[in-house]
Amino acid sequence: MLIFAASDKGGTGRSVTGANLAYRRALAGDHVCYLDFDFGSPTAAAVFDVLDARAAAEDRGLHAYLAGEAGEPARIDVWARTEHPVLRDLPPGTGRLELFPGDLSGGEFAATGENLHRCVDLLLRLDGEYDLILVDLSAGRSYAVDMVLAATARPEMRAVVSRWLVFHRWTRQHVTAAAHLAFGPRGIVAGGVARGHDEDALRAGVRFVRSGVPDLESPLWSQVTPTQSAWMRRTDEDLRQLASVLGAGHRTVLGTVPLDPVLQWREQLITDEDVVVSQIANRETWEALGELAHRLTDDKCWEQA
Amino acid sequence: MSEAVYRETGAQPRIHALPLAHLSLELGHLYMEDFEAGPERLRAHFAEVRIWAEAARAAAARRIGERRPRISTCFLIDDYFTRFSTPAEIVPLVLAEADRAGLVIDYLARESGCASADRLELAESVSHRLVESPPPGSHGARPPVSRTGWLANGQRTPTAARSAMAELAEWQPPQETAARNHSVFVDVELWSDRDGGRLWSCPFLAAVWQLARLGLLRHLGEPVLTPAPWTGRDFPHDWDRLPPLLRLRDSAAPFSAYRTCTLLPNSFLAVEDAVRVVLDQVDVDAGALAQVADRSAREGVPVPEQIAQRATYVFYEDPADPPQGN
Amino acid sequence: MTAPEPPARPVLVCGEVRTGLLPSLHALDVRAATQLLRLRSDDHVLVSERPVPRVLSPEILTGVDCPLPAAGGARNRAVGTVAARAALTSGRVLQTTAYVSLPATGPDARRPWGQYLVRPGLAEPFGRLPVRAVAEGVLRGARRGELDLGIIAENLSARLVRHPLLDHRTPFKSRRTRMRWVARRVPEGDKAALERFTLAEDGLRTVELRLPDGVAAAAAAGMCEDLALHDWLLTTLAHMLDDSRLAAADGPAAVLALRPAVDHLLHLWMPRAHVDRSLTAVWDALEEAPGFTRQWQTQVQRIRDQLALQAIPLLHRALSPS
Repeated sequence: MLIFAASDKGGTGRSVTGANLAYRRALAGDHVCYLDFDFGSPTAAAVFDVLDARAAAEDRGLHAYLAGEAGEPARIDVWARTEHPVLRDLPPGTGRLELFPGDLSGGEFAATGENLHRCVDLLLRLDGEYDLILVDLSAGRSYAVDMVLAATARPEMRAVVSRWLVFHRWTRQHVTAAAHLAFGPRGIVAGGVARGHDEDALRAGVRFVRSGVPDLESPLWSQVTPTQSAWMRRTDEDLRQLASVLGAGHRTVLGTVPLDPVLQWREQLITDEDVVVSQIANRETWEALGELAHRLTDDKCWEQA
Repeated sequence: MSEAVYRETGAQPRIHALPLAHLSLELGHLYMEDFEAGPERLRAHFAEVRIWAEAARAAAARRIGERRPRISTCFLIDDYFTRFSTPAEIVPLVLAEADRAGLVIDYLARESGCASADRLELAESVSHRLVESPPPGSHGARPPVSRTGWLANGQRTPTAARSAMAELAEWQPPQETAARNHSVFVDVELWSDRDGGRLWSCPFLAAVWQLARLGLLRHLGEPVLTPAPWTGRDFPHDWDRLPPLLRLRDSAAPFSAYRTCTLLPNSFLAVEDAVRVVLDQVDVDAGALAQVADRSAREGVPVPEQIAQRATYVFYEDPADPPQGN
Repeated sequence: MTAPEPPARPVLVCGEVRTGLLPSLHALDVRAATQLLRLRSDDHVLVSERPVPRVLSPEILTGVDCPLPAAGGARNRAVGTVAARAALTSGRVLQTTAYVSLPATGPDARRPWGQYLVRPGLAEPFGRLPVRAVAEGVLRGARRGELDLGIIAENLSARLVRHPLLDHRTPFKSRRTRMRWVARRVPEGDKAALERFTLAEDGLRTVELRLPDGVAAAAAAGMCEDLALHDWLLTTLAHMLDDSRLAAADGPAAVLALRPAVDHLLHLWMPRAHVDRSLTAVWDALEEAPGFTRQWQTQVQRIRDQLALQAIPLLHRALSPS
């Protein structure tokens, strides 16, 4: 299965959340790969803590592969190469977790001709090897988005299930922008239809992920004044209504990732060690990520919204 | 080591031999324009061709020494790009005009026979055998010609910068791979795809035609485009009912030959240059290639290694256009 | 015009094989396999029905003009064609191979292209071939811009995988393997031998062979395809057993994890079946150590034991009076 992680704006936690989802699925026993299609600013190597391995594959990243400059994109076995001490100590039954890094240099490029063929070839090949392929796409309506829309519209890809996650922060601007990216006139669904996708099928495969959402029931907010509390609840409700009006309401939301400084600042995988031993990360975050990871393949969450 | 006891016929390829002449001499192509220009055009054409045909015969005789060369003649009619008239009308006219000039046509072919003949897609088969001449720097990753439909004799001008961030490159010239000091770059369109299917280009069909005349086409080891004898009855009123390759004389030398010579007006020069670009990049059936090489060597007239070198041409002045009507 | 110098005798044959599961729910029958592998519509697809059906495509060529990979940085340009072919075993395991023969020396300038085309699968060096350095370089893998047999094999594999005959509903997930091989030519009459077989990380294997003159390069390619096929079977079965360990506590899950092995793989073990007779002895080295067939039989036994154990509770339930 292909999971595309998209966002209209930067700062939505798309990459770091996506990487955490890949990590959690691998922990659960799936063979997972993570493709860094964020051609402008590849970050996944930092999230997985495999910077040295990344540097060794300098000119053989996905960008060079898609442009026809490298025969095969580099792949990094995260468990074997990571500098992160916890990640190297794996429970039995863990699946493979591999990173296909982007290139350190090299920006956007056209989603046509040979580049597109190579993209299709790669996705087909990986589909035969991995249970889950998570593709991190550059923010906005990027070439990367165009390319995977065109690739997944190809007849040879028809048997490969693909799903879209649109990440956004819980603000008025972010909600509006995310809904536009998904359903707007130049959005994912419209762009996919222009490339030969069936509109209903594509629409049914799009879900939103709200990130950085404050949990108003959390003890964190128990000290605020009643006025502040009322304002927060009202704003939260307004946002819900806005999202609903724009087609990004709760029926189209796959999950919510709480506001967690560890996720925000460290931009790394959250391990159970962070929750249980050092206790720097919130249990709620750990659980939300686990739930979201589970829902990626839970068909009940992907029935027609 | 003892021979294997167990064999499977499906696991062993076979190849059939063809009879071969020394020279296949083409006395012309007929297109609709030529036909519409009236029998005078054909007459002028054959009168000119006769001179060069004699020269070609003399050259073939000199090459093989004492013996009498086996030479077969052929003539090609276009029924692929435009359908005009009927065999019943045209073929007797062509034969009569050739005869008037003192020329004998042994084999008559339809151009669509180079696209498909006897339910075999010859042009498509040849397209599968194209192996592009690699410009320096080719390490295995070029897009195959089957995706582009174009074949060049070198490296094209690079297209626009691939990256949004990469700076726009200045124009760079194309480069002929085998250039001597300067390039003569040729890029040949092999086909175009349209609603009705694939339309093969004139140079590509002409390359298939050359391969057939050189005895280098096979289908699963069997000869293709084999001549059908003419029973002497009237020619049909429908092109599709005319065999793609017809043997008009029982005593004719074999259709395929070690070498070909093609006599054409000047206006075909670019097309035939393109044919050579194609012939230079076809990986022909290895069995057929070996047969031709062995047989020609045994006869003491070895063929050039490169296929394109086996085809020679005489280009002459285009016949004058007839006066424009009213 | 004088006849061109014929090329010198090849001293090295290099190749790379990609082996993986055909992305299709059902194994292809021989007819469909023949259709898939008809890379040239006018050329033979070779079919062997026994002991395991194997269909072999015609060879296609790729023109190359680039430096050869060479250890120690020796730059050596070569021009010619690389042969590539595909094989499908039992309608299930797809292999693509690219291989090329290299003569000891070559002319200092490029020949007309037509002269390379009449010698398919041969690439001539400019000047003298640094045999040892190139053999090492090929096994190490091409750097950017160097002759890349892996790309050629990969492109052929990708082309086949796009074929409309394939539904991309793989019965189980599996990894592909890459096998790079070099065969040094030895005088005719010497024995063919496997000098080294190395298992590297990331599905990479390397093989070094001695190949007597007179044995076709295609026979060496076939030999390496056979090695790669059986190595892939061992590797894939081992991964399946690993994956099923977690599931072992849970009966039905273990059966689900191991069932594809029974359905698709266990009957494919047939070393040497399609290897040229002059090269069958090469396998003997691997049967002695590490003992490929011994390892296979052990794994197969483990799978059968697992499945038998899972069947006991079912049997028990079926026989219990309630």
